[in-house]
Formats: sequence, structure tokens, C-alpha cells
Amino acid sequence: MNNAHPGLPDFVEYVKPASLEEASKFLVAHAGESRPFLGATDCIVRMRDGIWKTKYLVDVKGLDGTNQITFDPAVGLTIGAAVPMNKVAAHPAVIKHYPLLAEACHWVASYQLRSRATIVGNICNASPAGDTIGASMLLEGVLRVFGPDGYRDEPLNGFFKGPGRTNLKPGDIAVSVSFPLPPQGNSGRYIKLGRNKLGDLAIVGVTAFGYPDSSAASGYRFRIALASVAPIPLRVPKAEELLASKPIDEAVLAEAAQLAYESCTPIDDVRGSARYRKQMVRNLTRNALVDIWSKIRKDA
Amino acid sequence: MVVAQNTRTNNPVGKSVARNDVLEKVTGGATYTDDIQFGPGLLHCRVKRSPHPHALIKKIDYSKALKLPGVKGVATGDDFPDLIGLYLKDRCFFARGKVRFVGEAVVGVVATTEEIAEAAVDLIDVEYELLTPVLDPEFGASPEAPLIHPDLGNYDHPNFIFPVANSNISNHFKIRKGDIEAAWTQCAAIVEHTFRIPHVQHVPIEPHVAVAKCEDNGQVTLWASTQSPFAQRALLAKALHIPESDFRVIAPLIGGGFGCKAGVTMEAIPVAMAMKYKGQPIKFRLTREEEFYTNFVRQGLVIKIKVGCDKEGNLLALQNRMYWDGGAYTEYGVNVTRAGGYSSTGPYDIPNVATDSICVYTNHPVGGAYRGFGMAELHTGVDQAMDMLAAKIGLDPVEFHKKNCVQGGDVLATGMVIHDVGIKECIEKVAQALDWEIKDKPSAPNKLRGKGVALAWKAPAMPPNAGSSALVKMNSDGTVTVSVGGQEIGQGTFTAMAQIAAEALGVPYENVKVSGPIDTRYSPYEWQTVASRLTWSMGNAVRNAALDARKKVLDVVAEAWGEDAKDLDIKDGYVISYKTEESVSIKDIVVYGLPKPNDGGWIGGPIVGAGSFMPSYVTGLDAETGQGNRAVVHYTTGAQGVEIEVDKETGRIEVLRAACAFDVGKAINPDMVRQQMEGGFIQGLSSALFEGCQLVDGVMRNPSFVDYRIATAADVPAEIDTFIIEHAQDDGPFGARGIGEHPLVPSIAAVAAALYDATGLRITNPPFSAEKVYLALLEAGLVE
Repeated sequence: MNNAHPGLPDFVEYVKPASLEEASKFLVAHAGESRPFLGATDCIVRMRDGIWKTKYLVDVKGLDGTNQITFDPAVGLTIGAAVPMNKVAAHPAVIKHYPLLAEACHWVASYQLRSRATIVGNICNASPAGDTIGASMLLEGVLRVFGPDGYRDEPLNGFFKGPGRTNLKPGDIAVSVSFPLPPQGNSGRYIKLGRNKLGDLAIVGVTAFGYPDSSAASGYRFRIALASVAPIPLRVPKAEELLASKPIDEAVLAEAAQLAYESCTPIDDVRGSARYRKQMVRNLTRNALVDIWSKIRKDA
Repeated sequence: MVVAQNTRTNNPVGKSVARNDVLEKVTGGATYTDDIQFGPGLLHCRVKRSPHPHALIKKIDYSKALKLPGVKGVATGDDFPDLIGLYLKDRCFFARGKVRFVGEAVVGVVATTEEIAEAAVDLIDVEYELLTPVLDPEFGASPEAPLIHPDLGNYDHPNFIFPVANSNISNHFKIRKGDIEAAWTQCAAIVEHTFRIPHVQHVPIEPHVAVAKCEDNGQVTLWASTQSPFAQRALLAKALHIPESDFRVIAPLIGGGFGCKAGVTMEAIPVAMAMKYKGQPIKFRLTREEEFYTNFVRQGLVIKIKVGCDKEGNLLALQNRMYWDGGAYTEYGVNVTRAGGYSSTGPYDIPNVATDSICVYTNHPVGGAYRGFGMAELHTGVDQAMDMLAAKIGLDPVEFHKKNCVQGGDVLATGMVIHDVGIKECIEKVAQALDWEIKDKPSAPNKLRGKGVALAWKAPAMPPNAGSSALVKMNSDGTVTVSVGGQEIGQGTFTAMAQIAAEALGVPYENVKVSGPIDTRYSPYEWQTVASRLTWSMGNAVRNAALDARKKVLDVVAEAWGEDAKDLDIKDGYVISYKTEESVSIKDIVVYGLPKPNDGGWIGGPIVGAGSFMPSYVTGLDAETGQGNRAVVHYTTGAQGVEIEVDKETGRIEVLRAACAFDVGKAINPDMVRQQMEGGFIQGLSSALFEGCQLVDGVMRNPSFVDYRIATAADVPAEIDTFIIEHAQDDGPFGARGIGEHPLVPSIAAVAAALYDATGLRITNPPFSAEKVYLALLEAGLVE
């Protein structure tokens, strides 16, 4: 059992750099004993719990436009790293064009916490249970990162390496996440199963997204991401391929859900058993797909 | 106090007047223990705790900690050898010789800041020799189990606790009534089942906090978030060998307790540190994690029930064997198991009863008082067994409950004849509110729907002579100050006491102020704020004090007016004469008295009324049979029902609506009674669906709100019907008896019964989590 401190350990130092360059240099110079942070909703807890022994907490909020949301109808949406989830979920462009992202935000912890928590923080924290990661992946999010060698882009598909592990290196600071315009006629769902209705971590989270696409044999394409059932947020390519190739009906949606069941590798932990989680992946994936299918099918 | 003309509530008993503590609480102005400022001299305490459930302490090395700048000193078990405990003196301030649970205090550190104290804790090395832990109460009670307290035979305890020396059994309460073996042969249906109820936590929103200071002259003051300032004074003063009058406890408002702030727990630590490091106040606050595993838990229970009825469904016999997982120390828990014993039938009339309520030491967290005091655990077993028996004999559960529930005049399992109770009306109200006869269709094809009902009873669990006292002080502005020693813990007792005093005196409710914080130096004695006993016991003391003050006022006026006090009354703050129709405001007389005619001197003077109350009629019970004249003061009884839907795709239970009905004798404040019914039900529902300490090898795996889930507003049904039944308590103030704990008692059993109605499944080990329900549906072939 970790020994939780009454407050933060007294060795922690708060660092507020004036620019991304300064922040990055500091993080490189203190690699292994420093971390960047945004809303700090995970970081403070982990420090207090003694899981992280980080000496320097580097505040990277408010640097070079990280507080902005911008939407360009020709290009898409860019959410600055420091924008809290409540602001994202309330943004008119998000509600109109990316409702799946707003839905995912609504399921994170509590309203109070979401006034600090950020989507970019959720992504960089790389918890397999992260509620907004599935939506961010399915909406083809790309992380903008400032590192020791300047700016680069990190597509989210392929970004996650393990629980808490990503492509980010010491000195890297995620500054925003961008989403292209989603396909016409799309619909998305995030179904989160917690132990109680409000504020829990996901025992299982299923994000699904679908849209008509004449280039697909079935006439439709679906994307599926699963939370809390693998070491990383999990896409289910086999199910996605099935739904693109086979004429869609209830049985095919159930078959895709079964593929999701087979592809996930959950563990037993204090929140739930692997057996239950696998069953829930199947049931909730099916529900999400059926719901989306009812909204996007052209013969409806 | 400014009293507007339009807010004068006369005869407030029975009226839902506004609470007198809300403004300061909702504005954040109320002072809690952690809010009190002690200036720059304040020191802070943290504790080195045991990582092992059962181990010998071989060596403690705190030399590195003492060298850390800012550290003032340490204390260990060697500094404080005396035993302490409420009903069984079995624990020390710090572990001595061995540790008995994960989280037990081994070394206390005092430093200038909390952070330094915590850093010093990490520098202390303790060497242990591991012992085999006892992690199951049934095994713990067996002769094969390692002894956790080899000295149990020498521990002090009152004569109603029955420890078994050289065992782990710290209390064995028995009932032997009638002939149970003969009764089985008469039964047309028998149910025999074992239920397991997990440990749960109280989770008050305010964690434990205490500050202690010892003056150079030996006077000790303790500021604490506590339900028991007077019990803490008595127990700590005795253990520290100082007179009670040198030990002062100041108890500000408390942010919830639910039993975990009763008796003495973590307060002992700052007091001990203050005794060793005199002259400066020392503060100790528990982290939320410590709140989960180092303090009182509601003990786990393994309950083995065999119950039978005749072919008409009349209960004939009950055998109830309870193994309570009392934890490492059972100084308080032994009395939980006694209460579980004498109430072991539940509110049912059963002629033949054999009960063994066995309190077992284990190497789990320490069991103690928790809202319901054993009754929720007991009813989770007994009421589920009754629901099973009703199904087996083919009776509707509501009919079965009505047929078998206790009624006034019944001889209970202990031999006590029970007073008038309104439980049958409670059952009827609940059944009616839930449209019991109507089987509603599920709201969707993937849902299963069902209804369940369960009963509850509980008596105040306390020593036979737990007392209360009160002072009523009349002020020259016409207001009245009531002093009590019972704690405003959120239940609204200060409001109820003001109502009782106003009613008895004849003044408006708005003119009565109840003084806080409780301070053992100035407040009148109160045993503890527990047992749902304040409205009844402290209410009696307040009423007596108010009547005493009233008599003094009337005697003064009678003398001044040359009238008989019998012809005088106090109404709306005025003394009136029915004979002469004269009247005078009490504010003109209660401090300065009244002049005699012709400047001939004065009558009266400042008026203070005093009152007390202590039940005198509770008798002992035979150690072998549990029989006696009167086991308890009274029982509050009631019923609760729920309608639920079970989601076949996730296993999640959704409670659609609930109904609660309790016989409170007399509702002093009906809205507050309803709030208790709603709040208690929600807490009970939370333990039915979500709560449980996950203990693995003595370690709690979920000691935080991340993984110890409690019900939120979103998990609660929109509709909770509440019904107040009033069969007056003969010795209650205006007929009142308690309601604080009872609404939580039947909730798990009610949900379990509804789950059976919906699915045909009995899950006998709460919580009924979505996972547990889903996997049970899967095993039963109800889902694929």
C-alpha cells in the first residue's frame, strides 16, 4: 500500500517557465525528475499518493496559444492543451461538428474536476481508461508537440505505448490536439460503464463512430475504440474491416461486437474482473453500433 | 438574536420549523475543528503505522527521525502502557509488543509542520517478526486459530460482556428461548442459509481531526471532531491517570460521523503526544486513506440462519449464529455484537429462539459503531431469510411480514414485553406506496423488474444507565439559551431541542438558542451522541429543564401577583393569568425579578432551569439464556420497500422508487424525520449496491473514493416516499423516540428481495454490484 501524504511531499517544486523553449530546456535538463502538467488533476493525486516522486512540476499552461479553441470550417478543430473540458464541451463548434467529443468530456469525473481537466492532459496521461481518448482517436486527432527539435505532429493512432507511456520524450510538451472535419452523415457514441453512475473510472468504455462511405463494400465505415480492456486505448481493426465489407444488419453488428470481445485483453483488478469486462465489451459495443447504425443508415 | 414579528412559531413540537444551524453551514461560517486557529505555536503529528496485519515488534529505530530539523519528538507504546476501551479495555495508545492490523499506530511524531512530521515517519525503521494473521471470523473463533489477544482473560469489561479467555472470542452473547429442536418438527417449511456481509466505511465528509494541548500544570484540553466529548474525557482521563476535571474536551460542529467519531479513536494519539510534549497544541488530521483503514469500520458478518414456520406461515423457530469480524480490537465492537444478539430475531414474533452472537478478534480493521449498530448486518441476513421462507411457504412477502411482525404485548426473545409499535401500519404504507399488488412491466426488453420489502427494528444500544442533562437559561431579551452535551452532527438535534424547550416553556421556537460548541467544562453531561437516543433521552432532559425554568418563572409571578401558580400559564413568551387576564412579558422578569408593591423590595432573580434523564428500568440478561425483564429501553420499528429494474446487458440495478415508513412515536420535526428516512435509505442503498472494503491478506485494496464507491445523487431514485407513524413512546418527550439510524437498517434486504422478485436469484453477499448481478444472471442462464 502506498503511503498517501496529507498534502504534497515537501520536496516538490513548482516551476513556471515563460516560454515553450524555456520549458522544454528545463525538462531536458531535469529529465527523470521533472514533468510538465496542465490541469494537474492526475498529477497532484499521483504525487500525493507517492506513485510519482517527481521533484519539479513544470506548469505549461498558457504558453503560446495553449488556451485557445479554434475552428475553421475548411480545416477542422484545434483545441489548445490548457483548455479545460467544460470549455470544450460547451463550445458551439464542438457541439455542432464533434458531439462525440463533447459526450466523452461529459463522462469524465465530475463537473468540478472538468473545470481543470484537459483533453490533451487526458491523452498524455495515457491511461487505458481515459474517457476522451477513444473519441480523440476515432475523430483522427493529431497531437501537436513542441520538443527540443521544434514542432512535430503525433497522430494518436500509434501514439500510445503502454499504461502511462507514449511517444513523448523528455522535453516534449503537447501544445494542442487537432481534428479534421469529420465525414458527412456521421454519428458517434461513448458508452461508459462505471460501478456507479457518476464520477467513476471506466470499468469498460466503448467509443464507436460510423458514417456512410460509398467506397466501402458495405456502404459504411465504422471505427471502434475500447477503454480499460488492454494496456493501451484499443482500436478493433478486425471489427472495423468486417463492418466495411459485409452488408450490415443486426447479426453483423453482433459479429463485430464479438470481434471486439475477442480482441481485448482486460485484467482482473479492484474495479472488475477480466471476465466481466470482456462480456461488457461485447454487449456495449453491440449497443453502440446498433445505436449508430439506426442513425446513419440511408434506408431509415 | 433578532426575531421578526412574523416568525414566531408557538407550540413548535410537531411542526417542520426551519433548522437553526443551516445559515452558518450553507454560508461556510460554521466553525469546525480544523477551522480553529492556534497560532504559530501549533505543532503537527503524524503516525508510523503497521504494514502487517499480525506481527511482533522486534525493534523500533527512530534516531534518524529525531535528527530531522523541525522534529520535536516521538512517542511509542512504551510511553503509554495503559489499556483503554469503551466496553472492553483491550487497546493501547500505540501498539505494544505486537501489531494486530494494517494501519495500527506504532510511533507518533511531533514536528513543526505536517510535511516534516510525515517526512520523519518515513525515516523510522521498525523491525517485525511476522505472525500468522486471522482473516476469517469463523476460523478465528475455532480453537485452531492463533491467539490475537493472549491476555483477553485479564481485560476489564462491564458485566454484560462475555469474553472467552484463551480464545479470540471477545463476546459471546446467547439466547435460549423455548424448545427449538422440538419446534423444527412442527415446521412446514424451513430455510437454512449463510449470508456474508462485508466491512463498510462511514465516509463522513469531514475526516477525523483533533488538537490536544497539555498545560504545564497538567490541565489537558482536546479539541476534536467527535460524537463523544464526555466519553472521551472519561476514558482518556482514566487511562492517563488524571482527574476528569483536569481533562477538557471542546467539540465544535462535526461534518458527519455515522458512528466512527464515537468513543475514542485517533484522538488518543494527539493527547498522548501532548502529555509528552507539554505547552504547545498538537494537531492530528487523518488523510482520507487513513480514514478508510485505520479507523472504526462497520465489522463484517457471517450469519448462519435457520428459520421455520407452520403451514399457515406463522414463524415457529429461529436459530441464528453470527460470527462478527470484530477486527484487531473490539473495545466498542463487543457491544455491537451484544445488540445483534438481543435483537437477533429482527422485528418478528418467534416463540423458539437460539442465538449465538459471537464477536471474534481478527487481524482486520477495528470494528466499531456504524449507523444501525449491527442492525443493518443482522437484517441483511434475517430479512432475506424471511423473504426466502415466505416464498417457500407460498405467501406474499407483505402478508408474511404482517402476519409475523411484532405487536405491542409480544414477549420478545429476551423475555422483554414490547410496548405498542406501529410496524404493521408501516408495512401497509410501504406496500400501498409501491402499488404492491400491481406487477409493472419492464421499461425495455433488456430489463427485469421487481419489488421488495424488508422490516427493521433497533433499540438504543447503550449501557443501562446512559444519562442526559440540560440547562435552560432565561435571558433578559426574552430569549432562552439551552445548554446540552449532545452533538449537532447534522441530524438536527439542536433544532429539535429548541422545539422541545420552546414547547415546554411556552415561548416561540425562534426565541430559543442552543449553545455550542459542546465543552465538557461548561456543557451539562451527555453520555454520547449515538444510538438514536438524543431526541428521546436528551429531549427528556431538555423538557425537564424547561419545565423547571417554567415553574420558577410562574412561582415568581404568582408571588408578585398574589395568585396561585396553577392559574398562570406562559404563552408566546408572556406570563398570563387565567383568573385576572393580566399578562407580563417574561423578558421583564426572568433576570431582574419583579418589584414588590410600594417599593417594598424584589422577588425572583435570574432564572436557570435544570433537568436530567436516565432510564432506570433496564435489567441484566442471563449469560446462558439471554433472558431478563427488560433488555432495552424501547424499539423503533419500520418498513422499507423498493422497486428496481435490472439491466440484463450490464447487471446494473436501477432503483426506480422507494418507500420508507417508521414509527417514531412523535415527530418533533416532521421534515427532519423525513430527511432521516431519505438519508438513511440512500446510505443503505449505497451499501446494498456499491460499498465494501476489499480486504486481501489484511490490506484494504480500495482505501479511497476512487475505488470505494458511494452513491451519488445520480444513483438515487427520484421518488422516495416517506411515512411517519406515531404510536407514542410512554417515556419519550411528547411521545418521541429516535429515528437517526433506523432507515438504513432494512435497505440491503429490501433490495435483495426486489432482486429476487425481478430475477429469481438470491445473491446473499452484498454489495449487489453490476458485475456480481451480471455474472449471477450468466450462471443462471438468464443471459448469454
